[in-house]
Amino acid sequence: MTTARAEVAVPEAENASGTALAARTRGLRKVYRGTVAVDGVDLEVPEGAVVGMLGPNGSGKTTTIRMLLGLVQPTEGEIELLGVPVPGAADRVLPHVGALVEGPGFHPFLSGRENLLRFAAAEPLLARGELDGAVSTALERVGLTAAARRKYRAYSLGMKQRLGLASALLAPRRLVVLDEPTNGLDPAGTQEVRRIIEELHANGVTVLVSSHLLAEVEATCTHVVVLNEGVVVAQGALDDLLESGSPTLLVSTPDGARAVEVLRDQRIPARLAPDGVRVDVATTPPARVIETLVRSGIGVDEARRERTGLEEAFARLTHDVGEVVGDVAGELDADEPEVAR
Amino acid sequence: MTTLPTADTALSGTLPARRRAPIVRLLRAEIRWIFRRPRTLVVLGLLAALPVITGVAVNLTVDPGASAPPGPGPIGPGGEAPIFVTMATSAFVLPLGSLMTLLILMLPLTVAMAGGDALAGEQSTGALRGWLLAPVARGRLLVVKSVGVLAVALVASALVVTSGLVTGLVLAGTDGLVSMSGTELSVGDVLWRLAFAIAWSTVYLMGVGAVALAISASTEHPMLVVVSVLGGLIVSQVLLQFSALDWLHPYLLPTSVNSLVDLIRDPVSFDGLAEGAVRALCYLVIGMSLAYARLTTKDG
Repeated sequence: MTTARAEVAVPEAENASGTALAARTRGLRKVYRGTVAVDGVDLEVPEGAVVGMLGPNGSGKTTTIRMLLGLVQPTEGEIELLGVPVPGAADRVLPHVGALVEGPGFHPFLSGRENLLRFAAAEPLLARGELDGAVSTALERVGLTAAARRKYRAYSLGMKQRLGLASALLAPRRLVVLDEPTNGLDPAGTQEVRRIIEELHANGVTVLVSSHLLAEVEATCTHVVVLNEGVVVAQGALDDLLESGSPTLLVSTPDGARAVEVLRDQRIPARLAPDGVRVDVATTPPARVIETLVRSGIGVDEARRERTGLEEAFARLTHDVGEVVGDVAGELDADEPEVAR
Repeated sequence: MTTLPTADTALSGTLPARRRAPIVRLLRAEIRWIFRRPRTLVVLGLLAALPVITGVAVNLTVDPGASAPPGPGPIGPGGEAPIFVTMATSAFVLPLGSLMTLLILMLPLTVAMAGGDALAGEQSTGALRGWLLAPVARGRLLVVKSVGVLAVALVASALVVTSGLVTGLVLAGTDGLVSMSGTELSVGDVLWRLAFAIAWSTVYLMGVGAVALAISASTEHPMLVVVSVLGGLIVSQVLLQFSALDWLHPYLLPTSVNSLVDLIRDPVSFDGLAEGAVRALCYLVIGMSLAYARLTTKDG
């Protein structure tokens, strides 16, 4: 199987910088019985990117994804998927889109394999003779071959999630949309999802993955969209987003208190940190900070640029807009206690 | 890890013209799913058992010495014999009688269950999304689901009649194949009447099934579909008891069931059967329209 990216390029939808877009929305809005779930969402998913969609619970991630996939009719706004309007021409584009939305949905009395065969029967891109092979391949990719003949009822939460992932990978895809793909997975399973996303990325498949596990997104994504209360509060390349916070330099020194004093005398913002000082280098070049310290006779053991963690950026972004940071922090604590705060 | 899903190399520039999964493939998947469902199998087994139980029970009570097959003599002239007594001896009346009895409640509920599982049940497990995303257009989805319900209606009716026929043949052989009018019927004559009964019952049940699908498209709870159909049937049957509401009776679906008796007469009078079928078709059209309207506008 060859991947000829040149032939695949879609010229229809392009953003300002000329990159082809796998998905784009304009002024997307959805109102459920008077409640605004999503409002004015202008989403841009570049071709070939791995886009992480972040947001607290109820921020409109799933609603946006459901509208992208034509499951829900938007109240207002336009959607283009692979250059085709959705839901108008959804039947043309959806065969090329794999999706796991709102958790896996399967029949408990059928085996994992039978469940996938049922879905494969509806895949327009699979010819009749390919169904069995496609199902076997998908099961193998998610590591369910051994459990393929067991009833779905007997699956663990993680196995159910994997089967959902397998259904998104049944046919050759150009865009894969995964809504909370690591829900219920153990660390090994999470690792595997990461591997699958990386494989898809390497094959030129665009991936849109929603998650509230920030470490997960930071590890796998090239781009990020942050939603809060139904509004996009930030989107772009992951690196840009991480750089957008105030840059700091972390200096390890045995004499932190005096270092802070010296720097403040030079009007360089600094504060005490464990094992040293944290210096704001938004206006001062790092070299000058070191120079100042060394000239004052303060020993510098180590100095490194501190990249804003995604978690910090996320908290900042969602805090600016609403009062949800408390909720987010609680949620993150519950989901990922190992993240240092 | 040899084959990985990659960007489809056949695509260039614009997406290819629409491609759809063949409907036969969808139908096969749907039928397989329906008849793999434990619930369906249990209910069908029950439906098949009831004519056997009825036949044996009546045979034992009415004619303890069943070893001597009774001739046509004991059947009262002019259809005066009670239907349950006749049943015991006839491979003709037992299947028809069973069908009529079960059409009052059991068979409609079976079909309502199938209709409830078809959309509401699939929606509640989330499995419906899999097909919607494949994608299966919603109109096609309704066609596939309706054919599934039709299959259940047909199989259930055929099972009841076949089970009654076999029980009748075992208990009484080919004796007692007598119409209510007292004329003897040939085996071929009996068979076409029974086949007609199956077809008619299927049409009647599809009237119920279409309404079930309409409710099914509006909810996520399959039990709600069964309960609604049960409620509708009970209310209809209560209303049928009031002669003051005569004007209403032609609009009630269960009015049709009694016309199946006409198949026991000789010659068969088709007026009531035709009217019943038309009534069921009206329910079918209304139910399907509502189901289509609901399914195509609802959020998946």
